[in-house]
Amino acid sequence: MSAAASRSERRGRAFWNDILNAPFNPGHLPASARARGAIRARFARAGDRSCVSELYEAGGLRLRFPRNAQSCEAVIVNTGGGVIGGDAAQLSFAAEAGADVTLTTQAAEKIYRAQNIPAHIALDLTAAENARLEWLPQETILFDGAKLNRTFTLDAHENARVTLLEATIFGRLAMGEHSISGHLADRWRLRRDGKLVFADDLRLTGDIGEQLDRKSCGAGARATALLLHIAPDAEALLEPVRESLTSAPCPAGASAWSGLLAIRLLSPAPEKMRAALSPLLEILRGRPAPRVWQ
Amino acid sequence: MADVAILPLSIWLSPSFPVGAFAYSHGLEWAVESGAVSNAATLRAWIEDLVTHGSARNDSLLVAEAWRAARERARLAEVHELALALAPSRERRLESAAQGAAFVTAIRAAWPCDTLHAFDGDVAYPVALGAAAAGHDLPLTPTLEYFLLAFVANLVSAGVRLGVIGQTDGQRITAALLPSVRASAQVAHSSTLDDLGSASLASDLASMQHETQYSRLFRS
Repeated sequence: MSAAASRSERRGRAFWNDILNAPFNPGHLPASARARGAIRARFARAGDRSCVSELYEAGGLRLRFPRNAQSCEAVIVNTGGGVIGGDAAQLSFAAEAGADVTLTTQAAEKIYRAQNIPAHIALDLTAAENARLEWLPQETILFDGAKLNRTFTLDAHENARVTLLEATIFGRLAMGEHSISGHLADRWRLRRDGKLVFADDLRLTGDIGEQLDRKSCGAGARATALLLHIAPDAEALLEPVRESLTSAPCPAGASAWSGLLAIRLLSPAPEKMRAALSPLLEILRGRPAPRVWQ
Repeated sequence: MADVAILPLSIWLSPSFPVGAFAYSHGLEWAVESGAVSNAATLRAWIEDLVTHGSARNDSLLVAEAWRAARERARLAEVHELALALAPSRERRLESAAQGAAFVTAIRAAWPCDTLHAFDGDVAYPVALGAAAAGHDLPLTPTLEYFLLAFVANLVSAGVRLGVIGQTDGQRITAALLPSVRASAQVAHSSTLDDLGSASLASDLASMQHETQYSRLFRS
């Protein structure tokens, strides 16, 4: 479906090719700021199970498969223990026809203070016919001074079932880091059957704490999450999701259109957001949330 | 003399142009219901943030891109698709697509131009406006200023109808936001789609919450 990719998506690809193919050039970057990690994995259906059929790992990123998992669960491990300015991570996961795979992370991802240049994380997902693909990483925590650009793309067959979560926490709140500065830009471009069905561009730059305090922006939140479900039955799940949200411990809302269900949460307290997310994941999956989200 | 050239904008972006703008509050009705917007100061801040950091900023970038792309088929198709996909909720998609379709119908009927041929069915309002303005050789900066000013005036009017402010405070807010309108128009003029970015999470969330609001005047 690359023919349907937009000019900006092609530019994004060129950007990544430049980064990944460029020779290391320590003269341009501080010694600590040049980690490039990548995971590319494909998952296939084999009988009544799903398993990884291709796996490429580079840099400090690894994919682990817990032995006890009921379904095919893959856990991303960042052996670098966090992300600093200038780091670049490219994650690419494909669920082949009928495959059923859940991707998550071993820990919350920490984004440390950046000297000047931002870190880049790119996630590219593909879900073929009747595949079930879930991207359910734990929260990303932005430290004061963190600078991060992320892109999320999906190319899904119209019969695929895809659930995507991105949860972000602004500051190490437990350490009193309550009003951070920095930069976060999230770009979502999700295609179903070749057609762009969802796009979103979040941008918080400079005094993030002050922006989050504005009523139309964060309304005082220090954590936010976007949970998306793209599936033939997505719109039918709106009512049970809304029922769950009536008792959510933080501000949250849901809407459904064009084969898509979108849920947004804004919370002053990350633990309240987590408490709201767990039952939502259960509704969208039709099975309990992955262990890290229970 | 230069002003004569932009007169169509004052018609297209007036509240009486038949796109039904009065029916949409862009989530403001929920913000009033929830207490987030309760007086002139909070209404002004709500609208100003949308213009400077939020969805109206993004929409002005879409106007600018559609204006530039109006005679490049593939480029116009890209911003057309992107603008519809950028809706954060069903009601915000309706707000943009219904006004866009009504705008295209009205322009085709009374102000025909050759840049609206590509649109068939749903079209996002900022894209329809940008393409029509280019089709009439209207300059980009005033197109962006009129667009953003109409956005401001429409939400001020919604605030009046929701009982948050009176007419006089409404005019004060509109007058006070002119510098923000001009500044955002300048930003949009010098930006590309790579610069899209909004911080108005709570406004987007409000448009979702509005969908289940019990008693409502507005369609968004």
